[in-house]
Amino acid sequence: MKHNLKLNHFLFLAPLLIMLAIFSLYPIITSFVYSFFDYRTTNQQFNELRLGSALNGDLLAENASYVGFYLNDDYDLVDAEGQAVFDRVTEESDRIAEQYAGVTDISAADEEAIRAYIVDARQSIDAVYSRFPDEDFWRQSDLKAIFAGMERVFIESNYVGLEHYQRLLKDTRFFKDLGHTAFFTVMTVSLELILGMGLALIMNKAMRGIGLVRTAALIPWAIPTAVSALMWQYLYDGRSGIVANFFAAIGLIGSPEQMLSTSGGAMTAAIIADVWKTTPYMALLLLAGLQIIDRGLYESAAVDGSGAVHQFFHITLPLMKPSILVALLFRTLDAFRVYDLIAVLTGGGPGGSTETLSIYSYKVMIEQSNYGYGSAIVVGMFVFVAIIATVFIKFLGADLLSDS
Amino acid sequence: MSIQKTDGRATMRRRKMLARGFAGLIILLFLFVSVFPFIWVTATSVKPSPEIFGARTAFRLIAENPTLEHYKVVLEKGLLRSVLNSFIVSIVTTLYVIFVATLSAYLVSRFRFKGKTFLMAMILAVSMFPQMIIVGPIYNMFYSLGILNSYWVSLAYSSITLPTAVWIMVAHFKSIPLSLEEAARIDGAGALRTLTHIIFPLAAPGVFTTAIMTFIASWNEYLLTFTLNTDANYHTVPVGITALRTQFTILWGQIAAATVIVIIPTLAIVLLFQKQIISGITSGAVKE
Repeated sequence: MKHNLKLNHFLFLAPLLIMLAIFSLYPIITSFVYSFFDYRTTNQQFNELRLGSALNGDLLAENASYVGFYLNDDYDLVDAEGQAVFDRVTEESDRIAEQYAGVTDISAADEEAIRAYIVDARQSIDAVYSRFPDEDFWRQSDLKAIFAGMERVFIESNYVGLEHYQRLLKDTRFFKDLGHTAFFTVMTVSLELILGMGLALIMNKAMRGIGLVRTAALIPWAIPTAVSALMWQYLYDGRSGIVANFFAAIGLIGSPEQMLSTSGGAMTAAIIADVWKTTPYMALLLLAGLQIIDRGLYESAAVDGSGAVHQFFHITLPLMKPSILVALLFRTLDAFRVYDLIAVLTGGGPGGSTETLSIYSYKVMIEQSNYGYGSAIVVGMFVFVAIIATVFIKFLGADLLSDS
Repeated sequence: MSIQKTDGRATMRRRKMLARGFAGLIILLFLFVSVFPFIWVTATSVKPSPEIFGARTAFRLIAENPTLEHYKVVLEKGLLRSVLNSFIVSIVTTLYVIFVATLSAYLVSRFRFKGKTFLMAMILAVSMFPQMIIVGPIYNMFYSLGILNSYWVSLAYSSITLPTAVWIMVAHFKSIPLSLEEAARIDGAGALRTLTHIIFPLAAPGVFTTAIMTFIASWNEYLLTFTLNTDANYHTVPVGITALRTQFTILWGQIAAATVIVIIPTLAIVLLFQKQIISGITSGAVKE
């Protein structure tokens, strides 16, 4: 019997919800938001998310103080009427500059008002100067430059809407990397499934030495991927790598250097390293599924005279379908988001031939500080992950979440 | 007739023996492939560099002039600092993840409430997201809080460790019979008391499994530390060891020695806690 929940029991759930909210949900939503902005942290014009325009208040104040300073220089060269105009412009510019400090968001109306002031001030001063065509003013050209500079105090909105996604749809590098990712995923997961299944079937039969096999299976899985990638980089090394030299000796590759320096070799190298690390894990998952099959089924099938192959396809596979699907789901998603292995082993090279979507988005987002487009790539990747997960869960039914 | 029958039996037996031999061969091959890279790297770690790069000596298992020079160099380069950092970050992560996951798994496995399926679906979904999606915002969050290059990275690990931990823990809690709690409840114990005095002792194996799995996941984490902690003083093992590579030549002897050193803790965990690890890998994955 289960109990209905009292309100204070939710305190049990609070830590989980808070952690998930801060370190999972908030970042995920924020990535979506980033993708709608031209957000680049290394460029001052784009280093914040701006839905509306903003104003660089410090720059405005600096320009305004120059306006007053320059007008003062030419003050005595004009008549009283002109001096009144100069006073008005100086006052106005000081008044506007006082209102803003630092970079602040401004409304469209305020922006309009400041732009109108700039136009008005420039025209009024020009009008004064033009009444004295023969006078040699000190600051006429300086003021022109200052008013031109004042246009730059506005920082425009960097909201780009769906622009990044339109770019993504035309981005050949994205689709090439999607191809690499899909190829890597399909190859590794199917090899791991077939080899893992074979191993699991053998481990299920074998009695002696099973403990040793299990230990041996756990070690590749348990060591950090970055460390195993580094280890394989050594084994694949053109000069000292024993695996590369072995492959060259048996004629799989032309020379040992080709293992990591050709596109086919590097992709194969990554696939082998992943299969080496993950097949044992797959075997353990499948072995657990095998062990819950009732042995009596095989015995009665044997009495009916069906052979081992027949038994495998008519008893083992159907009964293991759920375990296989769960294992496939998690492995597929893991392979699709592969980062550590490729980042350390090939860095995406040579010539981008092993670059996966994770590597591409990391390069754009972190290495080039282009969070906007980088996030759009991640979201693109996310869409494929969602599709893969949905398809698998459809096959699995609601099993995964059933409350039994 | 009877001769034929014995013949058939003999063939059967021979076939069975063949199958056994074949299976044994595959197991041996598997053991060799799994373990070979480690043996080779260990052999390399005691070879002096000229032997590693020399055409004649590169592929010999036994070093002609064994040396511990590479070990000395990587220890001087501060590899132990990375190992220490890995222990700090992984232990902290394991402790808070166990705390958070125990509380919520107890609630999920013992009570009916609205949105439970939604909660579990959300946890599952979080574990499926490409990890890359959290990296940018987390970097900015840590940057504006001024906690880049610190052990706070441990909190960001929750995104990869918590969902799995809750999942394993719920599976374990569900396998504990309810009758004992019923008795406690009749005696008037509240939810917290029931959890700490009745469930927790029974769930200890499950909690322990979750702890081991969380520890391994934190120990192996690369992307977040690589991005958030660029300062070598805060590198963990996976990041610290890749930082040993220099731009032009890679000194394989040092890499090999470092690999041997950092694999020791993992090896110890696997040898000591195999049972828990296998139970952790398979719980939730097996559907009856």
